Amino acid sequence: MKKYLYVVKTQIIKSMTYEFNVYGNIVMQTIIMITSACFWKALYKGQGMVGDVDADSMLTYVVLSSLLSVLLITNVERRIETSVVKGTVATDMMKPVNIFGIYFAEDIGNILALVFQNMLPILIIGSLMVKVPLMADLRDLPLFILSAAESFLINWLMAALFGMIAFSAVNIDALIQVKKHLLRLLSGSIIPIWFFPPGVSKVLGLLPFVYIYQLPLSIYIGRGDRAQQLSQMRIQFLWLVILTGLFLYAQNRATRKVMVQGG
Amino acid sequence: MGKAYRELIHYLDVTVQVIKMAFMTIIEYPSNIAGWLISNPLQFIMGFAIIKFVVASFGQINGWNYGQLAFLYGLSVISHALSMIFFVQGWFMGYYVIEGEFDRYLTRPLGVLYQFFFTNINIFGVTDLIPGILVFIYGCVKCGVRIDPLFIIQVIIILTGATLIRGGIYILLGSTSFHTRSAVDFGQYTQEIMDKTTMYPLSMYPESMQFILTYLIPVGWISFYPVSALLGIDSACNRMLVPFITLAVGILVMLIAGVYFSMGLKKYESAGN
Amino acid sequence: MIEAQNLCKDYALKLKEPGLKGALKGLVMPGYKTIHAVRDLSFHIDKGEIVGFIGPNGAGKSTTIKMMSGILTPTKGRVLIEGRDISKYRKEVVRNIGVVFGQRSQLNWDLRLGESFELLKHIYQIDQADFDRTLEDLDQILGIREIIDKPVRQMSLGQRVKGDLVASMIHSPGVLFLDEPTIGLDVSAKYALRKFIKEINRVRKTTVILTTHDLGDIQELCERLIIINHGVMMEDGNLSEIVDRIAPYKTLVVEYYDESAPEHPGCEMTEHDGNVAKYKFLKKDLTAAEIIADLSNIKTIKDVSIEEAGIDDIIKIAYGS
Repeated sequence: MKKYLYVVKTQIIKSMTYEFNVYGNIVMQTIIMITSACFWKALYKGQGMVGDVDADSMLTYVVLSSLLSVLLITNVERRIETSVVKGTVATDMMKPVNIFGIYFAEDIGNILALVFQNMLPILIIGSLMVKVPLMADLRDLPLFILSAAESFLINWLMAALFGMIAFSAVNIDALIQVKKHLLRLLSGSIIPIWFFPPGVSKVLGLLPFVYIYQLPLSIYIGRGDRAQQLSQMRIQFLWLVILTGLFLYAQNRATRKVMVQGG
Repeated sequence: MGKAYRELIHYLDVTVQVIKMAFMTIIEYPSNIAGWLISNPLQFIMGFAIIKFVVASFGQINGWNYGQLAFLYGLSVISHALSMIFFVQGWFMGYYVIEGEFDRYLTRPLGVLYQFFFTNINIFGVTDLIPGILVFIYGCVKCGVRIDPLFIIQVIIILTGATLIRGGIYILLGSTSFHTRSAVDFGQYTQEIMDKTTMYPLSMYPESMQFILTYLIPVGWISFYPVSALLGIDSACNRMLVPFITLAVGILVMLIAGVYFSMGLKKYESAGN
Repeated sequence: MIEAQNLCKDYALKLKEPGLKGALKGLVMPGYKTIHAVRDLSFHIDKGEIVGFIGPNGAGKSTTIKMMSGILTPTKGRVLIEGRDISKYRKEVVRNIGVVFGQRSQLNWDLRLGESFELLKHIYQIDQADFDRTLEDLDQILGIREIIDKPVRQMSLGQRVKGDLVASMIHSPGVLFLDEPTIGLDVSAKYALRKFIKEINRVRKTTVILTTHDLGDIQELCERLIIINHGVMMEDGNLSEIVDRIAPYKTLVVEYYDESAPEHPGCEMTEHDGNVAKYKFLKKDLTAAEIIADLSNIKTIKDVSIEEAGIDDIIKIAYGS
């Protein structure tokens, strides 16, 4: 455990080294957030409730989505790909620590640094320039935190699984792109899928993507009743279990493959 | 004149060779082809579907109907695709700066920016082009646009200008890494901002933002003003004039980007040491 | 041919402090300091010379060679190649230079080696007959034909360096710059590289400028050395002249029949181990024969040998100061 904590700490320091990246990211994310806010304001002009949500909640959704996107930055697939391409997989996997544990710790360290570097500034800027993102009902807070934590895990596991495809098909750039687009468009991060036709959103409700962004956000803005939220959280949890299972299976297989080849 | 002509022939000759090599590289790695063939069209087909859903939920967007939005979206995606083919490396300029990859370009007798973009030409960008053209033609049909030679020439002028504007912005952002010496990649962010501002009518945004996006970061000229002119949505936009304004803005942005890049290149530190 | 006038290069270096607190401080108030990598370097290189730039890591030799080849813009001063400033007329001047930078390749990783040459043919506008002839000539020295159809990514380092050497000479430049070319190479690849440099210098009169840490490179290739440390020129001159000046001594090694060894008034005894003693003497004051004669008057000598001051001594002295 100590080793992993050390990795977390090192990563925090590392990600603070480049002040330009830090400030550049804040500027870019601010522009995106404000553009999105204007976008929704324009759409809602002269309209009350659309898709069971009013303009005000949608603005909260925008600010929260910017904050959540920080939580969902992962590096694990790149790390795996690099280790495959550079041929260091074997030695990495033979190390006395679990290499995926190291990657996880790195991502956690990165996010912890980003909480102060990005989330806090964006929260302040968003509150000043868009709207103070107050929670619809504070009693939902535990539910929100739980679902956001699961979001993070689902997102990380999916990234790790995509990364592990590199073990067989070395170059995964295109696949990473496919995943990125799916995530961007089908998770509700830009446009919530409740604006999609019922048939489409029902199908998307079965896929893991909406449980990464949209579920915690809709809990936060209080869309739907408790029963609806709980049933969605059940599906989210189910996906977490499925992905964990897949991950453990893939990890075992990958380890065995490396052991057999002997590096 | 003779010298400029010989220069041009030289650059064209190298360009042909570079494109040949890009195709050879694609053939070297056939497994990538399928990935890009799925990934790129997928994103735009889904993006287009989303616009349809938004229109279905909210009705017309700031007075623009679905056909007009398709026209706007199509034009925007085509210029995006062109910028992906020629200028996408701008997103990764930081890596080239940090890794010292500009050494090679600086020691060869061709323009550095030319080599940077063209020796890394991204043929796969064509896969973005196809969905763009399809949606654009769909938009033309929906809006009852007559496709005559004049229209085609106007569209080509607009696309040239629009591609230059996008490319110039990528260069400007990328060139910051000469000064910051960091390999930060703002590509994803840039694209997200561009999507929101070129695929939806600019007139829906507050006036201050419209001002910025017209004069300071002139993305309005990529698709919004040209389409307003071509479709006659805004009578203030002259059909004959606007395509040329777009082209002029494109050239201007490129020139500024070129100057900024050259300033950066003077501060280039190579790698190591 | 090449003229460097008062070359200076400064870098801004970001200060890093240790630990989490230091990282946070760097984020809020980054501090910078200026590094003077090269300070006021002037020299002149004639056509057909082979010049070695040596100096410890961080001495500024790579920076210098990169300014000479147009990669870095000098903070002050300028580089003229055949009378023209390389920063001002980059495109014209670089037609006449070739570059090989040790760890970095200019070859296309994904394609067969020949494709990279083909691209250069178009870039430098070489006509087919010249191209074929040059390739033929270079093949004679390096044996490139057997790897020309191999994808670069599948090549060994030695093969890749051969590819890079051909790529750097395909347009028959008058000047070839090499930055630590032999780094990481095995003996036979090093041999091929040195042979190549000597050949192109002899046959084509190519001016060669290289930086290296390899004593073998210096010994075999460089007629002239420029020693740089802390961005300042320490020595510039003929290899043997520098040896004479920096290390004007030889060492006489004498073996006796027993463990006692006499002193000699004109020498310093640097080592005395068992039956062997080492006498260091200045070349201008004494000859080895005189010392041997003096010593054998005192004591019977079994065997003698002479150690010349080598390049490694020079480097030790030059780097140490």
